[in-house]
Amino acid sequence: MGDVIFEARGASYTYGRVDDRPAVRDVDLDVSTGELVGVVGPNGSGKTTLLRLLLGALAPSLGQALAFGSPAAQWRRRELARLVGVVSQREEPAFPLRVKQAVLFGRYPHMGALGAPSKEDLAAVDRALDRCDVKSLSERWVATLSGGEWQRVRIARALAQNPRALVLDEGTASLDIRHEMEVFELVSELVHEGHLAGLLVTHHVNLAARFVDKIVVMDAGAAVAVGKPEQVLSPRVFEQVFGWPVARADWRGVPQFVPLRVGEREAGTPNQS
Amino acid sequence: MGRWFVLGTLATLAIAVGLIVGPAELSLARVWGALTGSENASAAAIVLDLRLPRALLAFLVGGSLAVTGAALQALVRNPLADPYLLGLSGGAGLGAVAAIVLEFGSSWSVPIAALAGALLAIVLVYRLAIVSGSVLDARILLLAGVVVGAFASSLMGAIIALSPAQQVRNAFLWILGGFDAASWQALTVFAVYAVIPLGVIYRYNRPLDLMALGEEPAQFLGADIERLKRILYVSASLLTAAAVSVSGVIGFVGLVVPHAIRLVWGHLHRSLLPAAFLLGGTLLVTADAIARTAFAPLTLPVGVVTALIGVPVFVVLVRKWAT
Amino acid sequence: MIGFLLSRLLVIPALVSALVACASDVPETNAGRLVDDNGRSVDLSRPVTRIVSLAPSVTEILFDLGVGDRVVGRTRWCDAPPEALEVTSVGDGLEPNVEVILGQQPDLVVFYSAVSNEPAIAQIESLGISTLSVRTDRLADLERATRLLGRFTGTTERADSLIAELEVDLAQLEESRPRDSIPHVLILAWDNPPIVIGEASFLHEIVELAGARNVFEDVDRPSLRVSIEAIVERDPDLVLVTADSALTNRVDRAEWRAVPAIRDQRFFMVVGNEYSRPSFRAPSAIRRLRSALEEWR
Repeated sequence: MGDVIFEARGASYTYGRVDDRPAVRDVDLDVSTGELVGVVGPNGSGKTTLLRLLLGALAPSLGQALAFGSPAAQWRRRELARLVGVVSQREEPAFPLRVKQAVLFGRYPHMGALGAPSKEDLAAVDRALDRCDVKSLSERWVATLSGGEWQRVRIARALAQNPRALVLDEGTASLDIRHEMEVFELVSELVHEGHLAGLLVTHHVNLAARFVDKIVVMDAGAAVAVGKPEQVLSPRVFEQVFGWPVARADWRGVPQFVPLRVGEREAGTPNQS
Repeated sequence: MGRWFVLGTLATLAIAVGLIVGPAELSLARVWGALTGSENASAAAIVLDLRLPRALLAFLVGGSLAVTGAALQALVRNPLADPYLLGLSGGAGLGAVAAIVLEFGSSWSVPIAALAGALLAIVLVYRLAIVSGSVLDARILLLAGVVVGAFASSLMGAIIALSPAQQVRNAFLWILGGFDAASWQALTVFAVYAVIPLGVIYRYNRPLDLMALGEEPAQFLGADIERLKRILYVSASLLTAAAVSVSGVIGFVGLVVPHAIRLVWGHLHRSLLPAAFLLGGTLLVTADAIARTAFAPLTLPVGVVTALIGVPVFVVLVRKWAT
Repeated sequence: MIGFLLSRLLVIPALVSALVACASDVPETNAGRLVDDNGRSVDLSRPVTRIVSLAPSVTEILFDLGVGDRVVGRTRWCDAPPEALEVTSVGDGLEPNVEVILGQQPDLVVFYSAVSNEPAIAQIESLGISTLSVRTDRLADLERATRLLGRFTGTTERADSLIAELEVDLAQLEESRPRDSIPHVLILAWDNPPIVIGEASFLHEIVELAGARNVFEDVDRPSLRVSIEAIVERDPDLVLVTADSALTNRVDRAEWRAVPAIRDQRFFMVVGNEYSRPSFRAPSAIRRLRSALEEWR
């Protein structure tokens, strides 16, 4: 593993009043370059809040959330944007945008207030388009893209920022299998071959387990399991967190979980542990 | 580059028109003579002391309103945003009406009172739109603007109801807008004042582009959202307040010009803002020339002319969107 | 806001309506009935002893006719003659407060003829109280209004003599009007935006009879908004302002210096309510203005 990029130490955050339930409770986590970390958990478990803490969009109520060794919330947006590419959950441009221009937005943290995009900017855009296999879509309007294509374009934009870390928040929520796999493969490649730090938040425990180096399972704000998927994931953890009984059916050494139907919940089902 | 040339030419032509037409009929030769100092005092006074500063002021105000409109539309992610949605036109109107009805004697009393009223409205709207700490909520901003504007208007209505009919007429005519108070002095004051907010808005042209993606994506692409909203709101408000205090409430320029420009220049603010400035200035100088000349010697309120031009243009634009 | 203000704007054309009536006798129909300035039939059968006047000129006329003691209500703008100030004020004359008027138990209410007064007129009429509408914008209106009011109050002789006196006075003034070195006068009502007085107003009539020329006499309107350049083009010698002295301060601005008369501060102020509406004091007002202009000449 490489340098530690994101770090959470006892990080906690509470929205609203002090005595409300904390959204994130005492989480310890680190993400290094060359490492892909997946954060999973049911809705409301604090995944997105954790992300926001690590990206400095929120300042922790307790504990620390660091990016590149400094408190994330104290980073100037522009400087952090030169180091971290983020693909957020929802995005809908308010005006018609061509793919090339959308990716060029990724160069904005490097560009001054005036002056046209430099040769370097344009080259970075080209490289990013290429790497994410969306070069052929360059002149298309963003509104005409499929969900998967738009996702890859946004990853290209994040790449154009020339970052050392890549963060995806529910990057595949509405995609079909093919596009989802393409995105996971792409992210994995970028992280492992490009030596970026990768952090992704997802619903898909099974997919996450197959791609990530480290998995973080969130439950009501706490990180109940942190580590290699094959080491920390089990049906018991799954049931406790997601509230549904599962059976374990590994694939090539990686734990995979199959939700049980009502009639299937009996003692003695194989591979329970 | 052809379109910049066309726009620049239109702008120059508009200013020329502002110098040539008017209720005082002066031939081209005489206008030229006045500019080069070879005409009599009266013609020189008309061209150099009245028409020239007036045309330049109208241009500056029109440009400022257009830039403000564009910035606000990006800031609140709403194509219907107009500088006057900020509630400050109600505040300015209230200040002006109070100054007129209470018969303040100084020659600067109406513009200053209008400015004071506008600033008060700005502060009120800003306070209303701040939620939890220092976050400026764009939707509440619009609502607060409407509410404060309505409140100011009703106060204005009360003052008017208790005033003699002539004061009502005077106040009403001032509010509807006009450049009769233009002079080199007024032009200089406005120009010096306007440069700063205009410069600030232009400096943030790239973050303005990013706002179109949504606040969160914009933030992760380097825009300091809260700071941006505050700075833009303050700049836009100050600029509009100055425009209103110098020339009354002139609508449609801030709303329509940015949309017209986007059809040709697209949405990137680096070129949208300067182009909007040029077109807004062109539009307002032309509207003022029409206001002065159409029913000479009567002068129409400029706000009426911009509405008469602006509404059909707006209809055309809306139709274009719908397709 | 605009809607509200627009409804107010209806008042202005009505208030300073530009219709010039001919100075003829009060029109009569066969049965000896009169028609007022709203074109409505007027009933003279009952005597009037309690009159509410909703226009300053009407108040003046009533006192001139010698029936000031019958006036039980006036507007807050009725400031002449001095005795009128002792009469109870009923508020505004336009869109008046009907309740307050009724409180004075009038048997006649005299309105200024304006569209915005129609609802109040209808209300009062429906209660069986006589109403009368008169227009008193210009000198010519004075005769008609006086005759009507004279008929109502049974003071037709006095009315006739007042009118005759006025006519003689005006004729004499017209004759003795100076015909040479006539000053060109700008009658300025407001500075921002610039509003000047046109031909269809009482002030214009006074100025003309006093031996000056209104530079905007070619515009058939009581008042109009102009640009400063239109004023410069007409190059007035003098600027006349009415009792708003602050106006002379407010035009102390760069753009107004293009007008030589203002740059050189050639202002003329006329003070007194006899300049703001037609009344039987008009001839003396004209004479005063005339002698002041003599000095300037």
